[in-house]
Amino acid sequence: MGSPFPASSSRAGDGRLVVKLSPAGASSLEAMTYQYPLKLISPSPSADQKSVLVFILSYGGGLVGGDSVNLSIDVHEKSKLSLVTQGHTKVFKSPSPDIVTSQTLQVRVDDDASLCLLPDPVQPFESSVYVQTQIFKLAPRASVCFLDWVTQGRSARGEDWSFIRWTGRNEIWQRGDEAIGKDRLLVRDTVVLSSPDSLLLGRPLKETMHKTGVFGTLLLRGHLMKPVGDFFLSEFAALPRIGARDFRSAEDKAQEEAAQSESERWSSNRIQKEKEEGVLWSAANVRGCVIVKFGAKTVEAGRNWIGSMLIREGSVAHHFGSEALMCVQ
Amino acid sequence: MALSTATSDTASITHEIEELEAQLEDARARLKLSQLSTKDGGPTPAILKPSPSSSTHFLFLLSDSALPLGAFAFSSGLESYLAHNPRSSTFSDFLPSSVSSFASTTLPFVLAAHRDPKSLFDLDDQLDAAVICTVGRRASIAQGRALLTVWERSFRSTVSEVPEVQLLREFSTLLRESKGEIPAVSAHLAPLFGAICAIVGLSLRQAAYVFMLSHVKALISAAVRASVFGPFQAQKVLAGERVQHMIELMIDREWNTPVEEAGQSVPVMDLWIGRHELLYSRIFNS
Repeated sequence: MGSPFPASSSRAGDGRLVVKLSPAGASSLEAMTYQYPLKLISPSPSADQKSVLVFILSYGGGLVGGDSVNLSIDVHEKSKLSLVTQGHTKVFKSPSPDIVTSQTLQVRVDDDASLCLLPDPVQPFESSVYVQTQIFKLAPRASVCFLDWVTQGRSARGEDWSFIRWTGRNEIWQRGDEAIGKDRLLVRDTVVLSSPDSLLLGRPLKETMHKTGVFGTLLLRGHLMKPVGDFFLSEFAALPRIGARDFRSAEDKAQEEAAQSESERWSSNRIQKEKEEGVLWSAANVRGCVIVKFGAKTVEAGRNWIGSMLIREGSVAHHFGSEALMCVQ
Repeated sequence: MALSTATSDTASITHEIEELEAQLEDARARLKLSQLSTKDGGPTPAILKPSPSSSTHFLFLLSDSALPLGAFAFSSGLESYLAHNPRSSTFSDFLPSSVSSFASTTLPFVLAAHRDPKSLFDLDDQLDAAVICTVGRRASIAQGRALLTVWERSFRSTVSEVPEVQLLREFSTLLRESKGEIPAVSAHLAPLFGAICAIVGLSLRQAAYVFMLSHVKALISAAVRASVFGPFQAQKVLAGERVQHMIELMIDREWNTPVEEAGQSVPVMDLWIGRHELLYSRIFNS
C-alpha cells in the first residue's frame, strides 16, 4: 500500500514564496514552501511593517558541494518583499571540480510591487565550485533593489580567492504584455571567476583580483528606486578627480571645509574613508537600470560602504523598513 | 646538385601545399555558402564569392591598424589602471587581465555572429544589455559604428550580393531609426565584426584571432603613447610567444561559450574602465 499523502512535487532545495496585498492593505505572505537544504523564515508581521520580511537560510549555515537551491518568488501587485540572510552564505568545498553547488532565483514582480534583496555576501571556501543565477522578470511599473556580492573566502584561514570557480549571473527582464509581446532583456551582469583559467594565463586568481577582499554589484530598477539610483550616480560624478593636485593653502582648505554644508561634509568624510579602506566603485545607468560595482580590501569595509550609502539616501528604509538593511550594517 | 634537387623538392612541395590549402579554403567557403542558402531555403547564389584570394585580402584589411575604427582613441582601461596604481603598475600585469576580460566579455559574440550572421540583431541587443559600464559601452559602440561605416562605404561594393549584405543594410536602417532609452540596435563592435568577417570570407578562427590581436595591438599602441615603453619594446611584446599563446588560449576558452554565459573574468577591470571618467587628465576615451 502506498503512502496516504500525496507525492511531494518539489525537489530538494526547492522553495517558493508568494507575496500579495492583503485586503487590509498590507503586504502579506500567501505561500511559503521550502525543502532541505533551503529554509525560509518570516517573522510574524508587526502592525507597522512596510514590507514582508523573509530570511533565506540554509541548514548548517552553508551549501555543501553539490547542493542546489532553487527559489522562485512572486511579488503580486502593490505588495513589497524584503529578503535578507543571517550571516555569509558559505559554499563548502566540492569533492571534485565537476560537482557544482548552485543557487537559482527566479523572481516575478508585478506592477507597483517591489522587492529588496540585500543579503550577506557569498563566501566561497577553498576548492568550491559555485554557480548563482538570479533572473528578475519585472512588470513595467515594478521596482527592485538587489545586491550580489562575493568574498575572497575565509581570510582568517589564508583563503584568498582560493575557490575553483565562482559564476554569478544577474538578469533583469522587462516582461512583455499584449502590446510589447515577448520579454525584453534589460541588463545581464555576469561575473565568471575561475582559478584554472587564471592559471592558464600564468597568474593565480588572487593576483587578478588586485587585493580586493570583496566584490559586489548593486542593481536598481523602477520608479521607487529612482532616487537611490540618482544618488549613486550623482555621488559618483562628484568623486574627486584622480591625479588632481590640491593647490590650496592650509588656511584656504580649512576655510572651505568650515563653509561646507552637512551633505558636503558627509561626502568628503566618506571619500576619505573610501581612500583609507581601499574602496573603489563606479555607477552607470544601463538601459533604465542603475548598476553600481564596488570592490574593497575587506568585507567589513565593503559592508560599511554600501550600507552607509543606502542608509544615507534613505529610500530603502523608507519603502521597505530598516530590517531590509540588516545585512549591510 | 643534391642540394638543389632538395631545394626544388621543397619548393614544389610548398607549392603543392599552398594549392591544396587554397582548394580547401575554397571548398569550405562554398560549403558555408551552400549551408547558408539551404538555411534560407533560397537558391544557391550564382557567384561563389568570396574567393580564397579575396578572403586573404580582407584578412589583411581587417587586421590593418590603419582600418579607420578609431581604435587609437581607446586604451581599454590601461590609462585608468596606470592612474589607479601609480607605483605598482606594470604592463605585463595589465595585459593578461585585459586580454582575459576582453575575451570573456566579447569574444563569444564575435564567434556567434560569425557562425550565424542572421542573429546579429539579437546579439547586438544582448551585448548592449551586458556592457555594464558607460565608458566601455561608448568605446564598443564608437568602434562598431565606425566598422559599419567602413563596411557601407568601402567594403560592400566589392562583395557579391549574398543574403547577409541585405541583412547589414536592414541593420543600419534600424540603427538610424533607433532612439530612446533602450534602442533596438546599438552597433557594438564584437557582433558586427564577426558578421562582417563571415561575409568577406574569413574563417571563424581567423576572425577570432584578428579580433583579439587588434585588441592587443590597440593596447600596446596606447601603452607607447602613455609612455609605458618605446616602439621597439612594443613590437617585441607583440611578436612575443606570450601574446600568441594568450590569444590562442582565449580563443580555445571561449570557443564554445554561449553568449548567455559570457561574463567578466576580471571584475576590477570594470572598476578601472568605469572610473576612467574620473581621471584628472586623459589622453584616451577609455
